[in-house]
Amino acid sequence: MRSPITDSLGHVGGVALLTWRTLLAFFRPPWEFRPLIYQLDHQALGSWSITMLTAIFSGMVIALQFATGLEPYGGSMYTGKLVALATIRELGPVLTALLVGGRVAAGFASELGSMAVTEQIDAIRALGADPIKKLVAPRVLACIIGLPLLTMLADIIGCLGGMVVTVAEVGITPRFFYQQVLDTILPVDLWHGLGKSVFFGFFMGIIGCYVGMHTTGGTEGVGQSTTRAVVTSAVTILVSDYLLTQLFLKLYG
Amino acid sequence: MDERTETLGPRPGAGNGEPIITFRGVKKAFGPKVVYEDCTLDIYRGETITIIGGSGTGKSVLLKMLIKLLSTDAGSIKAFGTEVTTLDERGILPLRKRIGMLFQGAALFDSLTVAQNIKYGLREHHWGTEAQMDARVAEVLEMVGLPNTQQLKPAQLSGGMRKRAGLARAIAIQPEVILYDEPTTGLDPINVRRINGLILNLQARLGVTSIVVTHDMDSAFTVSDRFAMLHERRIAFVGTKEETLACDDRYIREFIAGGRGTLDEDVE
Repeated sequence: MRSPITDSLGHVGGVALLTWRTLLAFFRPPWEFRPLIYQLDHQALGSWSITMLTAIFSGMVIALQFATGLEPYGGSMYTGKLVALATIRELGPVLTALLVGGRVAAGFASELGSMAVTEQIDAIRALGADPIKKLVAPRVLACIIGLPLLTMLADIIGCLGGMVVTVAEVGITPRFFYQQVLDTILPVDLWHGLGKSVFFGFFMGIIGCYVGMHTTGGTEGVGQSTTRAVVTSAVTILVSDYLLTQLFLKLYG
Repeated sequence: MDERTETLGPRPGAGNGEPIITFRGVKKAFGPKVVYEDCTLDIYRGETITIIGGSGTGKSVLLKMLIKLLSTDAGSIKAFGTEVTTLDERGILPLRKRIGMLFQGAALFDSLTVAQNIKYGLREHHWGTEAQMDARVAEVLEMVGLPNTQQLKPAQLSGGMRKRAGLARAIAIQPEVILYDEPTTGLDPINVRRINGLILNLQARLGVTSIVVTHDMDSAFTVSDRFAMLHERRIAFVGTKEETLACDDRYIREFIAGGRGTLDEDVE
């Protein structure tokens, strides 16, 4: 008897199984680097522009909120510290993951979904190859490597955006803002943000691939899979963000 | 029709009398939809057998279960003496080298050229050096009548050419058995004749065993030595071309006559 609950549990089990097989594929030779480089180029490098756009405006808006919100309490001098912390611990990794995750998960789901409905994934197996090794492993690995790199970019651009607004609104010098960021941000803050982005990269990659490979129902199915991958990826990133933040706070403070 | 269920011997001149592929009591369901309940069939070396049956009855499922693209729920499938149903994804690889498959839509990899598509299987099976693979690609493309198409992408090929390129990819690794999933569906009469000719030619030149799934009865009668009729979730009839034509079962006669556009009054 199928119900939404058993269906959901089935998908969780399916993703767990795919995760295990993908991890095995990472360590099983032969290692082909060309598909990994191709995916890194397409997924990570291809996302730098939306990453920068998101980061600069989120940095600017958070600076504006802090600068005006703290002014009545005489705390607007601390805007730089708050912008840097918020960007590096939360906004950088989460917003980047949501934006890039939507783009990447949709791309994987539609590409692998099209391959599934046209029997190309069956053809890979029939020709003696392993579709997890050939298709899933390089995509997931590209996400795990690429998302932290994009997150670092978002951290820098987000702080720069925050600096521009803080300088304009609060009247501090760029050098003062820069010094505040250096004094505030500790290595542990970077690990918080970048550590989470490694997990987010893994989630978006594995979800996009899982949904794509299980696509049925022709072109309509591909469309549904694409939507499902974007939504599932975003929800997973937001839910796991809370859990990972709890975990990292307990581990590193 | 059940009393007609029988597995006939090999066609005259089909070589070894032992079947190389056997299905015994195979069961398969997709959720509540049962596709096979008790499927039993023998396939002999060197023959061309066509699986016929209505749309959505699971003819392609039979081919996919044979190379474990789909798992079975119960029963036994043996190929070259090896039990397929208990093999894992790595254990099935040697069998997949011996059994090639032409998929319904050819299933060529869109992002790769024709040559890269054909080399995909060669590379997996460690065919040899790049030069040897290039030579093999040229050879199989020549065999299917697509010379000098190595650098074309699948999107640049017509439907018939895609099928032939798919066939070239399937035969490149020199399989002993070729599975054809609806090889002529959606093709114009000239391409249908060309594909039929290829199936016959490959059998004559390479001595391969062919399992064809099709709705196209004209094509089936052109290429087949034997027919297996899938009806009510099992193989309900197996017979040679002559036995199939002489069969007095109403469903089979209706199916064959309808498929060939020669439905008789007496069938009605």
